[in-house]
Amino acid sequence: MGSLERSGLHGLFAVYKPPGLHWKHLRDTVEFKLLKGLNSKKQYTPKEHIRFLLAPKEGSERGELTLIAKNVPALSEHSLVLGVGRGNKLLTDIYNAHLTKDYTVRGLLGKATDDFSDEGRLIEKTTYDHVTPEKLSRILAVIQGSHQKAMVMYSNLDLKTQEAYEMAVKGLIRPMDKSPMLITGIRCLKFAPPEFLLEIQCMHETQQLLRRVVHEIGLELKSSAVCTQVRRTRDGVFTLEDALLRTQWNIHNIQTSIQKAAPRVEAELEKSQTIALDHPDPVGQSVS
Amino acid sequence: MAMAGTTWRGVCAGVRRARPLLPGQQRSLLPGSAVALLRMRWTAAGKSRSRREAAEAEADAPVYQYVSERARRADRIFTWGFSYTGALGIPSFVQPSADGPAAGRKPRAIQPVPYRLEMDARISSVACGYGFTLLSSQTQDITKVWGMGLNKDSQLGFHRSRKDKSRGYEYVLEPSPVPLPLDRPQETRVLQVACGRAHSLILTDREGVLSMGNNSYGQCGRAVVANEIYSESHQVHRMRDFDGRVVQIVCGQDHSLFLTDKGEVYSCGWGADGQTGLGHYNITSTPTKVGGAIGGVRIVQVATYGDFCLAVSADGDLFGWGNSEYLQLASITEATQVNIPTHLPFSGIGKVKQAACGGTSGAVLNDEGNVFVWGYGILGKGPNLMETALPEMIPPTLFGLSDFNPDVRVSHICCGLSQFAALTNKGELFVWGKNIRGCLGIGRLEDQYFPWRRAW
Repeated sequence: MGSLERSGLHGLFAVYKPPGLHWKHLRDTVEFKLLKGLNSKKQYTPKEHIRFLLAPKEGSERGELTLIAKNVPALSEHSLVLGVGRGNKLLTDIYNAHLTKDYTVRGLLGKATDDFSDEGRLIEKTTYDHVTPEKLSRILAVIQGSHQKAMVMYSNLDLKTQEAYEMAVKGLIRPMDKSPMLITGIRCLKFAPPEFLLEIQCMHETQQLLRRVVHEIGLELKSSAVCTQVRRTRDGVFTLEDALLRTQWNIHNIQTSIQKAAPRVEAELEKSQTIALDHPDPVGQSVS
Repeated sequence: MAMAGTTWRGVCAGVRRARPLLPGQQRSLLPGSAVALLRMRWTAAGKSRSRREAAEAEADAPVYQYVSERARRADRIFTWGFSYTGALGIPSFVQPSADGPAAGRKPRAIQPVPYRLEMDARISSVACGYGFTLLSSQTQDITKVWGMGLNKDSQLGFHRSRKDKSRGYEYVLEPSPVPLPLDRPQETRVLQVACGRAHSLILTDREGVLSMGNNSYGQCGRAVVANEIYSESHQVHRMRDFDGRVVQIVCGQDHSLFLTDKGEVYSCGWGADGQTGLGHYNITSTPTKVGGAIGGVRIVQVATYGDFCLAVSADGDLFGWGNSEYLQLASITEATQVNIPTHLPFSGIGKVKQAACGGTSGAVLNDEGNVFVWGYGILGKGPNLMETALPEMIPPTLFGLSDFNPDVRVSHICCGLSQFAALTNKGELFVWGKNIRGCLGIGRLEDQYFPWRRAW
């Protein structure tokens, strides 16, 4: 690990996973390029370990990624977080911090399919000329409201305490254990029937559940909707700007990226640890 | 390459194929790299055919229409809280029928979450009294007002009993038409209803204000009759001699306030706390114009619920009078009763748009959509803030303001005896305060110390 330390390759960085590419291939490619870069410095390197952000939710995504690659490639593009060296431990901590992720989800009105996506088996077609932006935003407000309530329920806070009030003021109430998918924010960015674009901020989600949200929105609008695209734009503290493109998967860029992200990751982990300890210490949640 | 593809297809023909071979499904017949290459090739051809078929099937599928283009959202009414008096309007809560799904169950004491009340008419105004409810519609039909709940003082009017035609109901279990003695029942519209402890007021557009119910303190605007029996009474009093047209009516516990279009306030009823604002602590049995600091000022809204009153002027100033035992008026006086309207010079609350009074607290909404509370009780800023004489702002993040939704504003506030409710411009309802018998409707029976989104 000596060369690893010298090259400063410990920490987390984000890469851009283009649609259609299996995440395993991506991980192998990045690992290969890292090894190539380290070898070219003519130093002895032991076997590297690059670990993916492993989590049960990612597990189900893994299965779905396979599905997605089968279908229209445009369905999922992600920025994925990888950890190198000692960053692997950071990955676990980040996972336990239960940070939110941002997604942009594109939906199409007028169709209902069995897997809630554009490529599933068609179940029903409906009209959608009665749908207006106001109706859509009202339904989104209802969805957000019920999820906010669920957040407080799953966070197991005693609402009668002053700490609970202060956390609610700062918007910090969120579950630190396992919970079903919770949407912390949802809003409509664009509405051009039959297409609409939603921005969803959520935690403990899977792609299947996100597509299901689009389907349920369609039902509430007394029409039907399918999801045509799911795109993760932010994962905790890593945004799309931090994600490295395929051309940038070399050791130099990865190093810079790790160094740039390190302070943000540390700050976020500190805050989350304070919350997890149920300490009555009001801190601000970063919205990056 | 084409030949390799053919070979692959040939191999596969023997295998029973349920769907085209897609990437990710491994066939362990060929070595690694060859599989990858052939896999891609197979996918392209097979996929386009099934895609075409699927697209054709989709185009042929029938289109269902669930709502038409001009569908309008129906208004709905929900009730919740203590149901023993029948105030919720669902008879099966109070009297589970002998047959049917609720047979044999005890009457439901509390409805902890909002329950839909089916009404055919389009209801425009509702008011909750102490154990009774009034609903009104702006229709020109004969039936304009419905009442349910406690009727021991005829606060809901006279509802003839079906069993004994000479008697009236003491408890009305479902929304029943309130008979009103209007001159032109098919032209007059009812604009607003208001309920107090045991009396009600009904505001019409051209026939003045009607009052029913208990009049022991003159709150119905007519002379107090000694030993009057209020139950099963047919009497509905009409008040028309105001200078101008009445635009808003509010009921306190045992007093009534009327606001005219000229911006003047009239009051009548119980005055021991000075809640009539007429400069004395006696009963007033006719609506009398209120002076004091609001004389000559154009008032746009009045509010009261218990024994404390607030008035908002057109310029956004706030005036208060009545009970001050709970610091409601402690910012200007040490006295516990104030019987004349006085200006409340609160700084930092901006221009007041709307005021609401609880039993022991007050709340205002300013033109920026912020809510300020003061007084005693659960005010909405956590368990630590139980009393304050000066208004404190409730953090707007509690109403849903965030980076995600930066334009959330509170548009309307309302008070119960020890509860608050706020409606935002996004159409969300927030409630907080003491959760007496489930009156907050949040599904739990515990008190709520900060605004809670009422979502379902």
